[in-house]
Amino acid sequence: MAGAQTAALPAREAARARQMSDTQFALVIILGVSLLNAAIIFVPLVYSAWLSLHESNVILRTMEFVGAKHYWTAITDPKVLAAAWRSVVFSAIAVVLSFALSLGFALVLNEDFPGKGLLRALVLLPWAISQVVTATVFSFMLNPNVGALNALLAPMGIVGPSHVWLSQDMALIWVSVAFVWHLAPLGTFFYLASLQTIPEDLYNAARIDRAGPVRRFAHITLPHLRHTTLIVLVVMTVEAVRQFDLVFSLTRGGPGTASQILPMLVFRYNFEFSQYGLAAATSFILTAMSVALAVGYFLLLRKKKVKKETANG
Amino acid sequence: MAEARRKIAGEGWRPWAVGAGALFLAFWTLFPFYWTLKASFMSEIDVLDSLVGMPPSLTLDNYLRVLGLSASDSIFGGQTRAVMEGFVNSAIVALPSAAFAALIASFAGYAFGRFEFPGKNALLFTLLVSRVLPPITMLIPYFVFFSAVGMVGSLFGLGITYLTAVVPLLSWMLMGYFASLPVEVERAARIDGCSRLQVLFYVTFPMAAPGIAAAFIIAFLVSWNDLLFGIVLTGGTNAQTLSPALLGLSPLMPGFRTELVLFAAASILSTVPPLLLALVFQRFITGLNISDPVTTGGD
Repeated sequence: MAGAQTAALPAREAARARQMSDTQFALVIILGVSLLNAAIIFVPLVYSAWLSLHESNVILRTMEFVGAKHYWTAITDPKVLAAAWRSVVFSAIAVVLSFALSLGFALVLNEDFPGKGLLRALVLLPWAISQVVTATVFSFMLNPNVGALNALLAPMGIVGPSHVWLSQDMALIWVSVAFVWHLAPLGTFFYLASLQTIPEDLYNAARIDRAGPVRRFAHITLPHLRHTTLIVLVVMTVEAVRQFDLVFSLTRGGPGTASQILPMLVFRYNFEFSQYGLAAATSFILTAMSVALAVGYFLLLRKKKVKKETANG
Repeated sequence: MAEARRKIAGEGWRPWAVGAGALFLAFWTLFPFYWTLKASFMSEIDVLDSLVGMPPSLTLDNYLRVLGLSASDSIFGGQTRAVMEGFVNSAIVALPSAAFAALIASFAGYAFGRFEFPGKNALLFTLLVSRVLPPITMLIPYFVFFSAVGMVGSLFGLGITYLTAVVPLLSWMLMGYFASLPVEVERAARIDGCSRLQVLFYVTFPMAAPGIAAAFIIAFLVSWNDLLFGIVLTGGTNAQTLSPALLGLSPLMPGFRTELVLFAAASILSTVPPLLLALVFQRFITGLNISDPVTTGGD
């Protein structure tokens, strides 16, 4: 009887069997990957949460349960609040400048000019090198006595001789600019990939309709880049909020605490003062900032998907 | 309003705008490299005198000193040796962790990008959260644990911490890539009698090779360039990686004098592997689908 049934509906039956095992197969893979992620990511996170609820004494090697004390200390600590605010300023400057530059660069690289291939290949380079190198090169560009910026601007009278760029007031802005040099190529890469998927026919049709370059840009290019822009902004913001290497190399958070963004402060709590509990608690505040961004992003994409599906259906 | 703008703008300015943009782009991107490259071939005395112009004489001495081939130098011998050891250590840790991360992420990306299954949205959200975790948040528990069990200075331990950073990132990236590949080829291979794993290894993964290669390169660059994990987990030990070693040679290091030209030479050498990979990576730009999986299917 079973044989007769299979014979009667072979294609549909086989398809259904395959679909079932599709799900099973996916679940087996997901289970494996999730177990690995749980072991290397979630177990340490739970351990970190446990640390954040304890007071550790490195010398006596003791752990004492203190509850939410570190979280309370962290959110009322002026140092943490100041560092969080610096993180916001740093990220805002870095993201706005990187976004503008990366879009501009991608538009330029999408045009035809001699040497385009070479420039396209090299544009990613600042992103691909160690930030220790970036920091050192910028520190010499900005050096008051021998730096290229003063050598260029002082003779023109724009700044005085031996102008200090990494000053108390300006250090945060300059580390942001150095970070833009590192970060913008990533956005250029995303935008360039997206620009290349716009059909040339659209532009030709618009030309026939006598639309000028500004209108073609506003009505064809920009709408097409909307989704990429969302991805670029989120990726850049996440990178800026978590930034450590460049700031650590360039200023160590200084002068004083002028460029001490939140990850730098967590680093100092943990590795200079061995306050593991407080560092862990503060790191979760930083994590909350990152996750809030990711959640916003996820919801935006979901909303867009739902809208699209209802539009199609 | 639209009517007023109907007249066709002359496009004679366009090549000029593109040219100016290209010049600025080239200057912005390449000037720091030009400057470092120039410094790496100069002597320390010349470098401070000729910041913008060409140097009076060029020398290979800095490279020889970094590579340990010059007998004349003993002052910075310790730091330059650390840089060369950093090269080896970074390669030892970055290559296998990038390969392993690319393999795991290929499986994850395939499952997420191809199939619907119960709990998928919750898992996607978990993946996204793992992808945005700040490195310092992951470092604290690993550091405390590694200190307790004596794994500070272990390249194996360092490699695991790199996996926490790159596996979620690459899974997220490859998910979109796998979703964009045609499913028909796989169906055909299944009908021809391939097992699921055979389809994966003989059909799907080869088809996804450009995306997987790009994922490998990104993972390699993240590990190769990392400073934070390297300096905390291997700094000052035999396992010290490249970035902490470079920082040790850098004139930024407070407390003791170093030579800018020596650092410039070491920097240029450290840039060679990323440079080669960036050139390879660039070839994948056109083939790489970076659209987000959550919205794929709608486009």
